[in-house]
Amino acid sequence: MNETYLEEVLELIWTVEEESGKVDIDVLLKRIQVPKAERQIKTLAQNGLIKITNKSVAFTKQGRTNAQVIIRRHRLAERLLNDVLAVKEDTMNSSACQFEHFLDEEVTASICTLLGHPTSCPHGRAIPPGNCCKNASKEIRPVVMPLTELRPGDTAKISYIVTKCHQRLDKLSSIGLLPGIQIKLHQRQPTYVIQMGETQIALDNTTARDIYVRLI
Amino acid sequence: MSGNGKNTYKIALVGNPNVGKSVIFGLLTGKYVTVSNYPGTTVEVSRGICKGLNGHTEIIDTPGANSLIPLSEDERVARDMLLEDYEKHVVQVLDAKNLRRGLLITTQIAEMGLPAVLVLNMWDELLDKGMNVNITTLQKALGIPVIKTIATHRVGISTLLTSIPSAAVSNFSINYGNIIEEGIKQIQNVLHISTRANKRALAIMLLSGDEALEDTLRGKLTHDSFKNIQRIRHNVQKHFRNPLSYEINIKRAHFVDALVERVTTTSTKKRESHPFMRGVFFYFLVPAVSFLIGYKLMTLLAFLVSSWFQPGDNAYFAASCIAGGISSLCFSWYIYSRERKTKSTLSEILGSITMHPVAAFPILIVILWGVYKLVGAFGAGTCVDFFESKIFGSALTPSGGFDIAIPIPFFDTSYTITHVNFQGFNYYCGLLAQKMVSKDNILFELFLHEQFGLIQVGLTYAIAIVFPIVGFFFLAFGILEDSGYLPRLAVMVDKIFKRIGLNGKAILPMVLGLGCDTMATLTTRILNTKKERVIATLLLALAIPCSAQLGVIAGVLGRFSGMFFAIYIFIIGTQLLFVGYLSSKVLPGEPSDFIMEIPPFRMPKLSNVFIKTFYRIHWFLKEAVPLFLIGTLVLFVATKIGVLSIVERVVSPVIKNFLGLPLETTHGFILGFLRRDYGAVSIFNTLEENAGSDGIDPRQLLVALVVITLFIPCLANFFVMIKERGLKNAFLMFAFILPYSILIGGIVRFVLQQFS
Ligand SMILES: Nc1nc2c(ncn2[C@@H]2O[C@H](COP(=O)(O)OP(=O)(O)OP(=O)(O)O)[C@@H](O)[C@H]2O)c(=O)[nH]1
Ligand SMILES: [Mg+2]
Ligand SMILES: [Zn+2]
Ligand SMILES: [Zn+2]
Repeated sequence: MNETYLEEVLELIWTVEEESGKVDIDVLLKRIQVPKAERQIKTLAQNGLIKITNKSVAFTKQGRTNAQVIIRRHRLAERLLNDVLAVKEDTMNSSACQFEHFLDEEVTASICTLLGHPTSCPHGRAIPPGNCCKNASKEIRPVVMPLTELRPGDTAKISYIVTKCHQRLDKLSSIGLLPGIQIKLHQRQPTYVIQMGETQIALDNTTARDIYVRLI
Repeated sequence: MSGNGKNTYKIALVGNPNVGKSVIFGLLTGKYVTVSNYPGTTVEVSRGICKGLNGHTEIIDTPGANSLIPLSEDERVARDMLLEDYEKHVVQVLDAKNLRRGLLITTQIAEMGLPAVLVLNMWDELLDKGMNVNITTLQKALGIPVIKTIATHRVGISTLLTSIPSAAVSNFSINYGNIIEEGIKQIQNVLHISTRANKRALAIMLLSGDEALEDTLRGKLTHDSFKNIQRIRHNVQKHFRNPLSYEINIKRAHFVDALVERVTTTSTKKRESHPFMRGVFFYFLVPAVSFLIGYKLMTLLAFLVSSWFQPGDNAYFAASCIAGGISSLCFSWYIYSRERKTKSTLSEILGSITMHPVAAFPILIVILWGVYKLVGAFGAGTCVDFFESKIFGSALTPSGGFDIAIPIPFFDTSYTITHVNFQGFNYYCGLLAQKMVSKDNILFELFLHEQFGLIQVGLTYAIAIVFPIVGFFFLAFGILEDSGYLPRLAVMVDKIFKRIGLNGKAILPMVLGLGCDTMATLTTRILNTKKERVIATLLLALAIPCSAQLGVIAGVLGRFSGMFFAIYIFIIGTQLLFVGYLSSKVLPGEPSDFIMEIPPFRMPKLSNVFIKTFYRIHWFLKEAVPLFLIGTLVLFVATKIGVLSIVERVVSPVIKNFLGLPLETTHGFILGFLRRDYGAVSIFNTLEENAGSDGIDPRQLLVALVVITLFIPCLANFFVMIKERGLKNAFLMFAFILPYSILIGGIVRFVLQQFS
C-alpha cells in the first residue's frame, strides 16, 4: 500500500501548488493525512520525483508527469461519481480517492470520453487533458455534454456549470438554473431557448456552452 | 412587530418579474400603472394609497427582481426599497406555476426579517397546466399567510386585503454550512450600524459580494470595517472554488427544492385547447394567415420596386397569389406535421413559431407591415389630414365641413349619411378673435398667425399629430406588448445586437423608444452593465424616432413612393448599427450575457390595452402640448424681434450650402431642439411652400428628414438622459449627435446627387 500513500502525497503537492503557486513544506505537512508523512516526502525526493530547496517543494519533470496522471484520474473519478452516478458530495470525496488508484490508462480514457472530455472537476479545478482529449472526435454522444450539444426536444439534467464569469453564475443561479435541475431544449437558433419548469429562458451561445448537462 | 398603531407600516409589493405585481397594485390602489406581458415593465417604484385597509396605508409597486442581490439597476431599485428604514409589510407576488423561482426570493425576505404575505398569482394558469399547490402545507412550512389569486379576474384580492395586517415573519432559517455561517457571524460583528434591516441578511449580502449594498453603506461604515469585511469574505472564499454567492444560492435552492417537492402535485391532466379551436387553427387560420404572409410579402416587394408592377396589374396579382399559395402550403404543412401530434395549446404553438429561426421573420415583416398600414398610412395619413384640415382648419378660411359616410366595398363609392357643417375649430376662434381685434393685431397673430400662431400652429399640430398617430401606435403596440411578442424579438435580434455592444434584451428599450424615447431611456435600467446602458441611451437619442415622428415621416414619404421610405429606414438602420458598433469598440467594458426569460404567449386583454393607450396618450399630450406651444412662441418672438433672420444667416452655410436645403427650414431645426416630431412637420410644410406648384424634391425631403431624425434628442428625453446617465455623459452625447446628424445629412445629399 506504500505506493498508494506516495500517490496521495503527490496529489496533495499538486493541489497545494495549484492553490497558492508554491509549496511550502510546513503547509504540506500540516495538510497531509497519510501516516509517516515526512518519510513519504523523503522517499519521493529519493525517487527523483520532487526537489526540496529551502523548505520549498517543487516537482521534477518526471514527478509532474506522474502527478498529472493521478490528478487526472482523481478528478475524472469525481466527475463520474458526481454527474453520472449522482453520488452525494461527502461520499464522492472519499470514493474518488479510492477509485483513482485502480484506474489504468485505458479505463481513464474511456471514462473521459464517456463524460465528454470534461475540463474541470465538480469543485471547479482543472482536469489535465489526456491523449483522448487531444484527438477527441464527436462520434459517440457523450453522457455529459455542454448544453450546446443537445438537440431540440432533448430533456436533460444540469450536471454542472463551469465558468470564469462571476456575473453569469450569479445570473443563472438567481433564476434558479442550478445543477440538478431538469431542462428541455426548445430551440437552438437564433439563440438557445430552454424550458425549466414552466419558465422559458433564452440563452446565448457563450452561456449555453458553460452549462453541462446529462441526457435523461 | 405587533401592538402598534394600525397605519404605521407601508406595504411593499415585490416578486419575480412579470408575475402580476402591477396588476395587483392597480387593484389595491385604483391607480393605473403600466401592465404588460414582459419582464421589466416596471422600472421605477410607484406609490399609492391602499384602498380598503384604513384609508392611509401607503403601498409601493417595485420592479421585478429575481434576487435581492441586484444584478441590474431595476433590481437594485426593488432591493433598496426593502432596505429603507421604515416598517413595512411585504406582499410577495409569485407566479404559482413557477413556485420554485418565487420561493428563492421568499427565503431572502425571511432572512431580512420582514413580515410577509405570499400571493400565489396566476392560479388559473397553474390549474391549466394540471398542477396544484397545497396551500395549507406551504403556509405551515413558512409560517406566513399564503393566498391564491387570479389578479386579472380580481379573484382573491379581498382575501389578500384582509390578510395583509396579519403578515408574519417566516420562522425558518437556512443553514449555509459551518464555514459560511462563521463568516456571516464575523461580518455581523463588524457591522456597527443602526438599521432596521436585519444584520444577518446584510451580512449574507456582503458575503455574496453585493457591490450595490457596499455603495449604500459607504457613508455609514468606517474604512476599517470595509477592510475587515473584505478580509473576512476573502478568507471564507478560500474554502470554495465557486464564488460565494453561487454557493449561497445553491444552499437556498436545496432548501426550496425540498419544500416545493412537498407542496406541489401534478396529477390532473393538462388543459388542452378545444378540439374545435384546434381544427380552426390548423385547417383555417394557419393556411389563411400564411397565404396572407406570402401575398403581402410579394406586395411589399412590388411596393418597393413599383416601377415593374402596377397595382391592379394581372401579373402583379398572379405573382402575389402564387407567393401566397407557396407560403400557405409550406407553412401549414410544417406546423401541421410538427404540432399536430403534440399536446401543446394554441398559445404555446404561437409562442414557439414567433421565435422560430425561419418562420419568425416573415411573421415579423407582416406585423411591421400591419403596424405601418394602421399607424403610418391610416393614422398619419388619413387621420392627421382630417384633424388638421377639418377639425382644426384655418383661422381665416372655412374648412367646408365633412361628410360622415360608410364606404361600400368593391364599388369604390360610399354611402353618405350626413354632412357635418363644421368649419374648423381655428376658424371659429378666428371669428371670435376678429370681433375683438383686427387680423393684423399682434395679439391675433400671437394665437392665429398662419406660421407661428400658438393655436393655429402649436396646438393644432400637437393634437392633430399626437392624437391619431400616437393613439394608433400605442393601440397596436399595446396588443404586441400584452401578447408577449416583444421578448421574442429579443431572441431574434440577439446575434446582431451583440455586434453593437448590446444583447437581445436591449430590444425592449429600443422598441419602447418607438413609442417614446423618454420612457425608453428609463427602461435601459433593465440592462446589466453600464456600457450597455450608455450605448442604448445613445442609440435611443440618435437613431430611434418616436412614433409621432416616424408616423409623420412615413406619412410624408409614403406620398412619393415606398422606395423613399425604405431608403430612409435603411439609412437610419445603418446609422444605428454603425454608431452602435463604434461605441461598442470605444467604450470600455464587456457586453453582458443574454439570459432572459420569455413569458408565455397570452391573449391580450382588450380592456388593459385600451386603458394603457388612454394613459399613454394622456401622458404624451401632457409632455408634447406645452413643448409645441413653447416652440411656437419662441419662433414667434424670434421672428418679431428679428433674431430669427440673424440665426438664419449664421447657419446658412450649413443648411443651405452643406445640406442643400432652403433657409426657411431653420425653423424646423430650431423646433427640433424641443420636439423632433414638430420639427419634421415644420420642415415638410416649409419645403411644400417653397416648392410651390413644382412639388417637393423628394431627395431634399429625405435629407431633411434624415437630419431631423438623427438630430439631438427632444428636450424631455434630454432631461431623462441627464437624470439617468449624469450631466457629463448626457452632454457628451449631445455634443456628438448634433454635428454627426448634420454630417450624415450632408453625406446623404452627396450620394443622392450622384444618382439623380
Ligand atoms: N393568466 C393570468 N395572467 C395574469 C395574472 N396576473 C397578471 N397576469 C398577466 O401577467 C402579465 C404581467 O403582469 P404585470 O402586472 O405587468 O407584472 P409585473 O409583476 O408588474 O411585471 P414587472 O413590472 O415587469 O416586474 C400581464 O400580461 C398580465 O395580464 C393572472 O392571475 N392570470
Ligand atoms: Mg410591474
Ligand atoms: Zn475535485
Ligand atoms: Zn479526454
